[in-house]
Amino acid sequence: MMIWIMAWRNIWRSPTRSGVVIAAIALGVWAALALTGFATGMMKSYVKSAIEQSVSHIQIHEPGFTEDYEAKYTLPDVAIVAQVLDTTVEVQAYSLRTVVSGMAASGQGARGVMVKGVDPEQEAAVSTIPEGALTAGEFLPEMRGNAAFMGSALAQKLGLKERSKFVLTFQDEHLEITSAAFRVMGLFDSGNTPYDEATLYVRRSDLNRLLQGGPEGAGQAHEAAVLLKDVGAADQVAGQLRAVLPNLDVQTYREIAPDLELYESQLQNVSLIYLAVILLALVFGIINTMLMAVLERVRELGMLMAIGMNRGRVFAMIVLETLALGLLAAPAGLVLGYLTVSYVGKYGIDMSGYSEGMASYGLAQVIYFEVPLAAYWQMGAGVFVTAVLASLYPAWKAIRLQPVEALRAV
Amino acid sequence: MAVISTQGVEKIYNPGKIPVKALKGVSLEIAEGEFTAIVGPSGSGKTTLLNIIGGLDRPTAGYVEVGGVDISGLSDNQLIDFRKDHIGFVFQAYNLIPVLTARENVAFVMLLQHRSAQERNARAESLLAAVGLSDKMDKRPAELSGGQQQRVAVARALASKPSFILADEPTANLDSASTANLLDIMYRLNQEEHITFVFSTHDQRVIDRAKRVVTLVDGKIDRDEVRG
Repeated sequence: MMIWIMAWRNIWRSPTRSGVVIAAIALGVWAALALTGFATGMMKSYVKSAIEQSVSHIQIHEPGFTEDYEAKYTLPDVAIVAQVLDTTVEVQAYSLRTVVSGMAASGQGARGVMVKGVDPEQEAAVSTIPEGALTAGEFLPEMRGNAAFMGSALAQKLGLKERSKFVLTFQDEHLEITSAAFRVMGLFDSGNTPYDEATLYVRRSDLNRLLQGGPEGAGQAHEAAVLLKDVGAADQVAGQLRAVLPNLDVQTYREIAPDLELYESQLQNVSLIYLAVILLALVFGIINTMLMAVLERVRELGMLMAIGMNRGRVFAMIVLETLALGLLAAPAGLVLGYLTVSYVGKYGIDMSGYSEGMASYGLAQVIYFEVPLAAYWQMGAGVFVTAVLASLYPAWKAIRLQPVEALRAV
Repeated sequence: MAVISTQGVEKIYNPGKIPVKALKGVSLEIAEGEFTAIVGPSGSGKTTLLNIIGGLDRPTAGYVEVGGVDISGLSDNQLIDFRKDHIGFVFQAYNLIPVLTARENVAFVMLLQHRSAQERNARAESLLAAVGLSDKMDKRPAELSGGQQQRVAVARALASKPSFILADEPTANLDSASTANLLDIMYRLNQEEHITFVFSTHDQRVIDRAKRVVTLVDGKIDRDEVRG
């Protein structure tokens, strides 16, 4: 106890110096939390928008489809898939899609596109694109001809505007090249430029008719995109669906888009990486301060050993002094970090100044900070370990002193 | 019975380079209850002899026995423990622990001896009362005068119930009144409690009060005078 008291009082012998170290550690912890919050918020926004806009939580396909995306790999019995999804309580909504790759051509040029044939109401229930991303016109209205809903970026590349006509060409189920005229009835901007440049929505009934060369295939689909009530249940529900639909390929969003899984798994590491880099820099500052504290007290340390304080206690005293600095700094940094993360987590940080660059990576313009609870514990433990490590060299220097020489020090 | 006994103690600094012979075969016996001053000109080896007797330094040759223990054979860590239990130190520059109060400074040595908090407090208070500092117990060293700090140092030196007290130039930084006061206290402790004191000093006022004066010249005992 007395050694704790001495350690505590010793750090206040030089309040400015101790204050600077405490502030440096606290700011380091705060910076690590803020960076973690930013990175986590950014990654989560990417994952969230990918799920909400296109991937959904679960997708169901005929097994061959995900390998080469040929039009012939339709779901064998759409009605059964729909019935299963209708009766699964965890499912919030689903959208049946016919998906082909093709080419959109206008007078100004041609672009390769992924064409998604959807039922407008179903799609609006699983994706934010039909309503949230709409910038002009409307999403696939009922009309006599073929309606298309196109990314603004694609429209710009093809020189198209709302109500412009263009030709869509693709391979039908009989491997014949087929073309049809479509009219741009709506434009969207999802904030993800690569997606907007390569994706086109049409009515599923229109696409099915063109694919099969007649109206008889109106009910077919290549994909069922499923939105769950709780994203955490994705693996469990996918397992249930696999059991009920054994001949179909049921994939969670992590399997469909491995980049999302990578991002999710990196969320756990990112705070540790930031923390490690910041603490590594702090170690040298702490060593420097404690070394000064030891070298200034050579005579006093010599006296302590002269009157019978053994080297173990001297070592412990220096370690405790360093720990005391960390114990003051870490909570301050954690509180500061928590307040920052809470504030920016609620109100967001506006990155619209960089929106073009962010959009090209599929990132949102407003980032909401988020820090997993574990990160706070990791930061606290990290500061503790850093303080102990940084104290070892100064403490070792202290116990190497010979009392008789130390007492002669000026 | 001798509390301190040295036989042919030599100390050579820088033995490999330019050797300096600080002590050249000092043999000395100090009995329990003595009030001894070790005197001599600067460089005569007073502090070196005190450091060796106090287990802070090791002799190059010779034998040192303190309280019947050959301390020249102890390791560094054993020496620390030995000093804690057997020797009280009073330094020229007081050397109190600046972050502790007078009471805590005195109690600190007893803490190292694992004495109970109750015993530490009671003894610290009685020792500080004995040196006339009952009203300064909760002051830190920076709030005390030089003489008061040195009296705390004497109380601290006594706290561990040592075999004897070594005081290296204890009055060098004190004014006349403080010196007289400190000497009175040490003399009284010697007379009433039979505490053994060994000083190194230049100070004639200390020499005048000593019951035995050992004079060192060039690392050897030149004179050993016992006074009535």
